Amino acid sequence: MTFEDTDFRQETLDLNNPFDVKLVTGFLHELGFDFDPTDVESTMIVYNLKGELVGTGSHQGRILKYVAVSPKFRDTTAFALIVTYMTEKLLKIYKHTFVFTRPENAVRFRGLGFSEIASSPPLFTLLEFGFESIFTYQDYLKSVKQKTETTSIASIVVNCNPFTNGHLFLIEKAAAENELVYLFVVEEDLSAFPFRIRWELIEKGIAHLKNVMMVRGGMYIVSGAIFPAYFLKNETVSDVMEKQAELDVQIFAEYVVPVLGIKKRYIGTENYCATTAAYNKAMKKILPPSGVEVIESMRKVAISGSSILPDFISASKIRQAIKMDKLDDFQEFLPESTREFLYSDDSREIRNKIKQGEGRH
Amino acid sequence: MKPKIPAQSGTFESSDVIVLIEPLPNRSGRKIEISSTVMQQYGESFRHIVDGMLDQYEMTDIHLIAKDKGALEPTIKARLETAIKRSLGQQEGTLT
Repeated sequence: MTFEDTDFRQETLDLNNPFDVKLVTGFLHELGFDFDPTDVESTMIVYNLKGELVGTGSHQGRILKYVAVSPKFRDTTAFALIVTYMTEKLLKIYKHTFVFTRPENAVRFRGLGFSEIASSPPLFTLLEFGFESIFTYQDYLKSVKQKTETTSIASIVVNCNPFTNGHLFLIEKAAAENELVYLFVVEEDLSAFPFRIRWELIEKGIAHLKNVMMVRGGMYIVSGAIFPAYFLKNETVSDVMEKQAELDVQIFAEYVVPVLGIKKRYIGTENYCATTAAYNKAMKKILPPSGVEVIESMRKVAISGSSILPDFISASKIRQAIKMDKLDDFQEFLPESTREFLYSDDSREIRNKIKQGEGRH
Repeated sequence: MKPKIPAQSGTFESSDVIVLIEPLPNRSGRKIEISSTVMQQYGESFRHIVDGMLDQYEMTDIHLIAKDKGALEPTIKARLETAIKRSLGQQEGTLT
């Protein structure tokens, strides 16, 4: 039993300093983590007067990462101290913080006052803490909910990076087959096209569809890209991806569907992206038992085109075309609003970023 | 008075309470969320202490969250006072 709680000292590390990085890497290695300094924004450590390392915590954006306490100090307040330090820092900037952890460790965060949002056993549980919670998002959903008698209510979740005729096709199909369609736009800004632009292009592009209601995705719809998998090094990538998709879809089924009375979810068949394919699989598994029918629609095929023009419309091909300056060949992919934007000066910065950038998004 | 910035005081430790304060838009009044591990026995008195401190500082347009782990009354009062003063910009937080 350790009594000297007040002897703990806390310090922020300098991640540009190799000695600091080595210190925390070595500590975490013994506890079974592979620390990747590019994976975090800032790291703090706790040590005692003897210079022993007690614990550490890091964060990237609003997500807590690598929170660990040496076994010798687990009956002390070190863990609470680290989490207090992190939340104090993060809640100055963000409305809430998230933590992903193994289900067996979730109880420790719950004990501190974190609330569990969803769990995807046996791999992980998602918890949150702060001024806002998933109930704040539900209040927002209630505020955009349309007063209606009908039960013919469908939903689509899109990122639209950027908005294409393929998206438009899927939205028009849902709008024609249902009385009301909620269109969720992923809010997280990890895409080449920022949320504000994506929202605008869609808004202009679907102005003729009166029964489509646009909804902000908030922090809870498709959080896949922010998902930290560092604590799951023994699992295969596809296992993690599958469980992560399940977690997202579970949140949708549990917190979004009942508020808006959604009965269907439209998705496009996925031929290219493994992540999206994992999502589609998860939806077919989780949504039907919650009373939501999953309708998979074939992707729209472009009618004609040059020999290099692939047949299925996809936003990633448009980004590829921007990169290679071949946008003129892809006219058929683009709805009016997106075309106008891509050929205007307003999009110069984004186009340049895509040309220089690499990677999936 | 109205909070100027988000602020936190206290810790997640046992026998302590963690207090979060954030500003709300004008004329929102008070939004108070309290929870305690001893809500059954002391919830009412906890609530009373919180209201009393907010009255003392005449706080309004404030969102306050307090999670109690069995703190004693002087502790709760001290944590509340600190959080209020930090949110008013009258006192520095522990982070630099």
